[in-house]
Amino acid sequence: MTLIWGGLALGAVYALVAVGYNIVYISSKTFNFAQAQLMMVGAFLAYTALVSWNLTTPVVVLVAAAVVAGVAALEQVVAVNPVRDPHNILVTTLGAAILIDGFVQLQWGSQPLAVPFFAGDDAVTFAGGRVYPVELFLIILAVVVVVALTLLSRRTMTGLALLAMAEDREAAQLRGVNVRLMAFGAFVVAGVLAGTVGVFVGPKTYAISTLGASLALKGFVVLAIGGFGSLPGTLVGGLIVGLAEACAVRYLGSEYAHLTVFLILVAVLLARPSGLFVRVRERVV
Amino acid sequence: MGLLGRIPGWAVPVAIGVLVLLLPQVIGDFSLIRQVQLGLILALIVSGLNLSLGYAGELAIGQAAMYAAGAYTAGLLSLRGHTEILLHLLIAGAVALVVGTVTGIPGLRLGSWSLAMTSFFLVLLIPDVIAVFREQTGGRNGLSGILPPTLFGRPLTPDDYYLVIVVVTGLWFAVMRNIVVSRHGTALRVLKQSPVLAASMGISVFRMKLLAYALGAIPAGLAGALFANLDLYVSPEAFSFSLATTALAASILGGSASVYGALVGAFIMQFGLNQAGGFERYSLLVTGAFLILGGVALTGGLSSLAHTLWRRIAAPATVPERVERVQAPDMPDLRGEKLKVAGVAKAFGGNQALDTVGLIAEPGQVTALIGPNGSGKTTLLNMICGFYRADAGTITLGAKNLEGRAPHAVARSGVARTFQTPNIPPGITVLDAVMSGRFATHSASVLEAVLRLPRYRRVRRDDFAEARRMLDLVGLRHLEASEAVALPLGQRRLLEVARSLVAGPGLLLLDEVASGLDEDEAAGLADVIRKVRDAGGTVVLVEHNFQLVLSLADHIVVLAQGRVIAEGTPDMIERDPRVMSEYLGTVPDDSASPIVLGDLVDDAVGEE
Repeated sequence: MTLIWGGLALGAVYALVAVGYNIVYISSKTFNFAQAQLMMVGAFLAYTALVSWNLTTPVVVLVAAAVVAGVAALEQVVAVNPVRDPHNILVTTLGAAILIDGFVQLQWGSQPLAVPFFAGDDAVTFAGGRVYPVELFLIILAVVVVVALTLLSRRTMTGLALLAMAEDREAAQLRGVNVRLMAFGAFVVAGVLAGTVGVFVGPKTYAISTLGASLALKGFVVLAIGGFGSLPGTLVGGLIVGLAEACAVRYLGSEYAHLTVFLILVAVLLARPSGLFVRVRERVV
Repeated sequence: MGLLGRIPGWAVPVAIGVLVLLLPQVIGDFSLIRQVQLGLILALIVSGLNLSLGYAGELAIGQAAMYAAGAYTAGLLSLRGHTEILLHLLIAGAVALVVGTVTGIPGLRLGSWSLAMTSFFLVLLIPDVIAVFREQTGGRNGLSGILPPTLFGRPLTPDDYYLVIVVVTGLWFAVMRNIVVSRHGTALRVLKQSPVLAASMGISVFRMKLLAYALGAIPAGLAGALFANLDLYVSPEAFSFSLATTALAASILGGSASVYGALVGAFIMQFGLNQAGGFERYSLLVTGAFLILGGVALTGGLSSLAHTLWRRIAAPATVPERVERVQAPDMPDLRGEKLKVAGVAKAFGGNQALDTVGLIAEPGQVTALIGPNGSGKTTLLNMICGFYRADAGTITLGAKNLEGRAPHAVARSGVARTFQTPNIPPGITVLDAVMSGRFATHSASVLEAVLRLPRYRRVRRDDFAEARRMLDLVGLRHLEASEAVALPLGQRRLLEVARSLVAGPGLLLLDEVASGLDEDEAAGLADVIRKVRDAGGTVVLVEHNFQLVLSLADHIVVLAQGRVIAEGTPDMIERDPRVMSEYLGTVPDDSASPIVLGDLVDDAVGEE
């Protein structure tokens, strides 16, 4: 059970990365390579604010959300908005990711930093296994975020406009949706999410400058399993990836963690390239 | 001016190659020579990247993994006593090719992101895979004790080995150049421009992308073998993320869609980033900034800038003179086949786009498909081409069943088409664009193209001859050396017709081929279509220009709301009351003065 809790918490983190991918993908059909790096920045900010400045958690969350949203907004303005060929967005957002990696290394070094969690860092016994409070918190957070966003996208005008954009950008534009503003807003929202979640990811994974790359890939596997644009899919994908990785580490050794997840990705791409929760759409000339 | 222009394109790289070869004679500085060697090795990796990113349009950075595979292959061979460098290169290249193919297949299933991510993942896996096989690879400690390389059993001195690296790199770039200027290079450009276009020309999108990605693994494998034999030590640190991203930045900087840009980009990154010690801390920042800048502003990279400059200096400044249109030759015989569409239905969600539609197009006839907007014309066309799957019904061409085949397979069985908006890849000449129409039907393998084997030469010669004949036919021969996308609309449409005809298709589909043309251009196009018909071709014409349809078609099928509401000769259609009501929205009095639809519709359509 200890194993399952650890795996679920890991999967929750990956799912939250994938949710960030989805927010941007739904709004502008682009893929933001730097999403996990944004989350990493949140984790480092949490370290500095909690350990060096001794701020309280609610304040830290506000600071991290605001700063990371600013970084995301900057990324959108500099590296996404001016790109004409959509193919190049992959390259420019990858560039943004590398840039953030480099900045974090310069600022915080390459040693792992332990980020404290507000409810304590002592494992408790729960439902037949040892679990850290932060792990339970992450699992709940992932579920709450997915449910809330799903409801928002179905019930609010903004959410509906987003879905309309995802369906047909031009048609949405003709209906009076400000497509450019929405695309910008999606980056900001994804940034707020990344900053907030980063504060609680740090206590689980440590704040370390390689966190971005590893989270980015696992988050993508979650996305591939659940399907691009599917919010509930991220929870299922996170569950699968988190548990598989935890089992691989436990029973095969830590060097099999990435390999196992990679094999899952390959299997999913071969068997159901559009993911489990997205219907195959016919292509149009 | 003319003198510079007459220097063949390959002369400059060859001269530079010779210079690099002689470099150690001039400079004795060991560390500089080493930087050159590492720069060349990096250039090999970047070149492989260019093939998939620049030519196939797929971002993939797995080359670092292929590089590692090549290096460990060479190292392990050496530890087992095989020090022959040619053997190392051969096996390392083959291993890299296998890794590239196996990892490319799942990655290419789901468009661009998934290849980018799976290839990214490969790089992350390198240390893990090395750790899993630590017995053989030495794990984190690296693989030491690699023996110095030999060539034909003779030990190589460091000076000799320098020559080996230069020659191998030079040979790869020659191979790369041969691929890029061959018909495969054109096919890759078509693919990058539009997968839909590629498929409708018979090019399998998946296989072509896989080909580019897998071929790009070979130079990375070679680079790995060269690297292992240079340092005689291999460790996981050499194959980190930063290598992958450095290679990507070099590719963008030099220009991904270029052959020699890889060398320029690799040398700038090698000398710029890895030279100054203090600079290294900022290397990630610089790489990241390069990628953003490159993606936003420098489309085409430095090589594109150089290319533009070179053309300014070297190209003769004269405008190609306008040749009087020679009497176009007669169309060679076309073996048109009978198209039979029966009972085809298609629904998109709740919208019944086509409802039991039937259509027969005979060889030697122009069959026109008309109908108001949204009547299902384009849907039907796309179904014949294989882009949509029918819910019910059959589509056959001659004896072949088309229904259920992939678009490229449909194209290969003889269906050629043009597009509402001409679809022509940038950066190629009119002649190349027409020749690309023969890529799938008259094939030669990559190996034959690289080595310029007889079959490749023969196919290429036929490509030229056929393409020129088609250009004569449509009257564009005098423009054969111009850039294809730069032509005005009317000529681009004629170019598309020539491209469709060049493979001798059994069925020619023309999608709103006259829209946007002036009267002269439309008349010229009509002449070409008549010639195709008289040569025995099967032509299906989707068109809004009613006068053109009336004057050109032998048989007209009218669609409305997904159903065939009338069919027959132009005379019959022109007087059909149901057609009139569909077009005009009213049922005309069928009394005294007979209304002829052509007169009315022509005005209505002109305002569209």
